[in-house]
Amino acid sequence: MKTEWRKLRTVRGGWILLVAAQLVIVGGISGLMINRADATSLAGQQGAVAHVGIVALFSLVFGITAVAGEYRYRTITDTYLATPRRDRVIRAKLGVYTLAGAVFGLVGSAIALATTAIWLAGKGAALDVGSADLWRTVLGGVVWNAAFAAIGVGVGALITNLIGAVATALAWLALVEGIVGQLIGGARDWLPFSLGSALDRLPTVTDGPPQWQAALALAGYAVAFAAAAVATTLRRDVT
Amino acid sequence: MTDVTLTGLTKRFGRRTVVDDLSCTIGPGVTGFLGPNGAGKTTTLRLLLGLIRPSAGAATIGGRAYAELSEPRRVVGALLEATGFHPGRTGRNHLAVLSRDEARVDAVLDVVGLTAEADRRVGRYSLGQRQRLGLAGALLDDPEVLVLDEPGNGLDPAGMAWLRSLLRDLAAQGRTIIVSSHLLAEVAQTADRVVILDAGVLRFAGPIDDQDLESAFLRLTAR
Repeated sequence: MKTEWRKLRTVRGGWILLVAAQLVIVGGISGLMINRADATSLAGQQGAVAHVGIVALFSLVFGITAVAGEYRYRTITDTYLATPRRDRVIRAKLGVYTLAGAVFGLVGSAIALATTAIWLAGKGAALDVGSADLWRTVLGGVVWNAAFAAIGVGVGALITNLIGAVATALAWLALVEGIVGQLIGGARDWLPFSLGSALDRLPTVTDGPPQWQAALALAGYAVAFAAAAVATTLRRDVT
Repeated sequence: MTDVTLTGLTKRFGRRTVVDDLSCTIGPGVTGFLGPNGAGKTTTLRLLLGLIRPSAGAATIGGRAYAELSEPRRVVGALLEATGFHPGRTGRNHLAVLSRDEARVDAVLDVVGLTAEADRRVGRYSLGQRQRLGLAGALLDDPEVLVLDEPGNGLDPAGMAWLRSLLRDLAAQGRTIIVSSHLLAEVAQTADRVVILDAGVLRFAGPIDDQDLESAFLRLTAR
């Protein structure tokens, strides 16, 4: 785990993704505040703060770079030479990147709350800090980030080509989940992005599962991907 | 004193046999690991390091498979052709990821002559500097066995002379050093023994008479 932290700290990629994520949050919230008539209402505030969850896409990509990035730069050879028990490598990465995803979510939450509060102040309103609804959205957004980072580690270990893994993950979210969702009816609520939306209580979610079930189901996806990743990683020849 | 032993080592990729029933023991000193392109040298080294799973047979280091070593980097240091660096990491941080012992990091940077370049990003390094950094990584945990795939790549003539004396010094300390190379004259100067592979099959293993390494090599690997 210590080694994995050190790997994270010594390159810039993570910081760049983190900063990019904050820009998306600030931009997204500002857009909502400018355009939405009921921006000062609780629903408006919640919708603004929910942008934390959208940033889970960055956490997902970050998670993918954990293993696929090592293949990209061929540092995976050194990693497996130092730790021939590859399941330990995957587990360490899973732990570190899940925490990093949570950090993405927490930093994002702080930025989202601050941005929302500033816009509200400009409109002569104030953030409804006493609202449990608001905080449940924040918490859900943080969990969404952590879960997507963990899923990303699994995806990157399964698809070790970095570009291929990122393209596959984003294509899934942007295209496939929508199309598959049409075909499987009610089960679509249980696909990863829909679960994240439910977790974050996005306004687009009408009748998804309750928040705690969504959290459990997303954790289930993360575990399933991790198990598949460990199984294939143990057998794979590193050439 | 740690021996490297290959017993019936075989690797097939699909229907192609890349390493074919290879058996030999390599002891302390410098052993040149030779063969034409595609002879199976790199695959053999990767089998030895547990990066590739053998189809049959085994490779052991001091009697144990690589994956069974509890602190593998203290036993074997490796520089492979494909040893990679994250271009955004500095040379020093590349080594710091591999070892938490800062004194050792400084020491090996000094050994390979990269102290002045240690805090630059690896993306800015020349090929020779990367090769030196790879060597530093192999030496980091003071291993008894060194596995070096084409360590002379990218080194200038002064670098080659430096590498030769480094390998001789390390061998004099009783280490087992396996060096794959295409530079026969270089091997003849440095190695105590050679192992010659062709098409995955062992052609020769033993001491060399440096007068005729090239002609012996060409004869043994003629198709």
